[in-house]
Amino acid sequence: MTHFSWPLDGSIVGLYILATMVAGIMVRKYVGKVEHFLLAGREMNIHLGIASLAATEFGIVTCMYAAQNGYEKGFAGATPGILYALAMFFVGWTGFCIKPLRDSGVMTIPELLDRQFGSRIRWMSGVVIVLGGLLNMGVFLRTGGDFLVSTCGFNPAYLEMTMTALLVGVAAYTILGGMLSVLVTDFLQFIVMSIGLIVVTALILSKIGWSTLVATVDKHYGAGGFNPFINPTMGWEYVLFNAMLNLAAVLTWQTIIQRVLAAKNSNASRKIFTGTSFFFVCRFLIPGIWGIAALATLAPSVVGGKSLLAMPLFLGSFVPIGFMGLLIAAMLAADMSTDSSYMLTWGSVIYNDILAPFRRGQQWSEKRGLLWNRMIIALIGIFLLFYGLWYKLEGDLWTYLGVTGTIYLSSMSVLLIACCYWKRANSWGAGAAIVIGAIVPTTYIAFTLPICEELLPGIAGLTKTIGPYYSGIATYILAALAMIIGSLLKPPSKKIFESEVSA
Amino acid sequence: MKTAWIGLWWFLTVACMVWYSTVTIYVAIKGVSDIRQMLAHLGKQKEDAGKAQ
Repeated sequence: MTHFSWPLDGSIVGLYILATMVAGIMVRKYVGKVEHFLLAGREMNIHLGIASLAATEFGIVTCMYAAQNGYEKGFAGATPGILYALAMFFVGWTGFCIKPLRDSGVMTIPELLDRQFGSRIRWMSGVVIVLGGLLNMGVFLRTGGDFLVSTCGFNPAYLEMTMTALLVGVAAYTILGGMLSVLVTDFLQFIVMSIGLIVVTALILSKIGWSTLVATVDKHYGAGGFNPFINPTMGWEYVLFNAMLNLAAVLTWQTIIQRVLAAKNSNASRKIFTGTSFFFVCRFLIPGIWGIAALATLAPSVVGGKSLLAMPLFLGSFVPIGFMGLLIAAMLAADMSTDSSYMLTWGSVIYNDILAPFRRGQQWSEKRGLLWNRMIIALIGIFLLFYGLWYKLEGDLWTYLGVTGTIYLSSMSVLLIACCYWKRANSWGAGAAIVIGAIVPTTYIAFTLPICEELLPGIAGLTKTIGPYYSGIATYILAALAMIIGSLLKPPSKKIFESEVSA
Repeated sequence: MKTAWIGLWWFLTVACMVWYSTVTIYVAIKGVSDIRQMLAHLGKQKEDAGKAQ
């Protein structure tokens, strides 16, 4: 039995959705060029950037996994948040990669790569980024729906219809206003989301209490529930893999990078990074505390082995009427801001880089460019609908997300760093890094499939011994080595050769 | 050692609550003027482009 009341909580949620849609659609009149549509005319300032980045990077799927980490690992499960925050602060403070990226005036990372590695690598990078990103976000919609069903006690039969209606609304304002709509709605969503997160966490800390949370973690996980290095499911390899993954995400995750490129200048983008960095601790720790609260209060029979649903089940019975409307509005805010931004930013790579060969030799008018961008977002929306909602994904969701992300993050981070700081890097190295970055994680997954366990038990056993964290670390190291070896094998261009000789 | 880790998580939890409470208000106020400036610049750009045509 949940505490969701349709008259009170439903009105709060309805009012919030209406306000967001109106705000998102109202700004469409300011869009006159492709640059306005994709990058808000590069007029985004620091505070709007912080709100937008924080809103985009916190979706229901993030909340569910962070809460699951809290439920299964205790406080130590929030370790990736600390690593993410450190990576964000380091990049913002030093301007590592993001300064040259923003100063270059490009619209996407592959466009910058084109300058050093050529148009073929630009196109390949675009394909890898879009494949990794879209497959990753393909599961967001259903996870969001599962949260609503568990928290509000909705009839699961209406899940598809509810999430379809929500996606259509989000797609409508994103198609009309592009990045401008995304920024304005992100701003509203950040405020609603923040209020909801603070209120629910304050309720948990006051009603359940800090000492109960600590005692629960101690009882279930001992010292490993607080210290990631001695947690049997984590260890140093988990920490190192997450440090690499988070640094790569900060440098190349499309939704983050679009904020760098939309910022007024490189100084503003650096301040957005340092200003948002601590948010990433909150992003993991606050839902983690919700997960620990679920562990403290719910009987294992209620959760039934589905630790992913423990937090929403707990919130459904814990949050009182009235506050429930605020919580659902906050979670919808989180989900809508993520969906709109993901559709726009991955769409921008399809338009700017994958379609680049079709524009070669001819200048598309701004009107034609805007029309293509809008059609691409509509197509991404349709893909999300069928792939993420109507198609039921089988298997382990976490592994799925990890693999789709790593395929792109490992190679793109190596390419971006080499492009910004290594003149000798060239297309051979870039191509090798893309191939190796894709092959290692997909091979790992292939060898963990049940069919491989039957056919090749020896290799499957070895793969299990290696585990996802060592495999992930190896992917980043091998992609970097591929870049170095590939670049050194290709004879240097005349320009580089002359500069090396004169040096 | 465990006490030190518990202390760290307690400190981070308090910091999260303080960060969210203060930054949300600050960003909410400052963000409004950022949106106004952004829309004003874009409106002017569009107006200038219209005149040029």
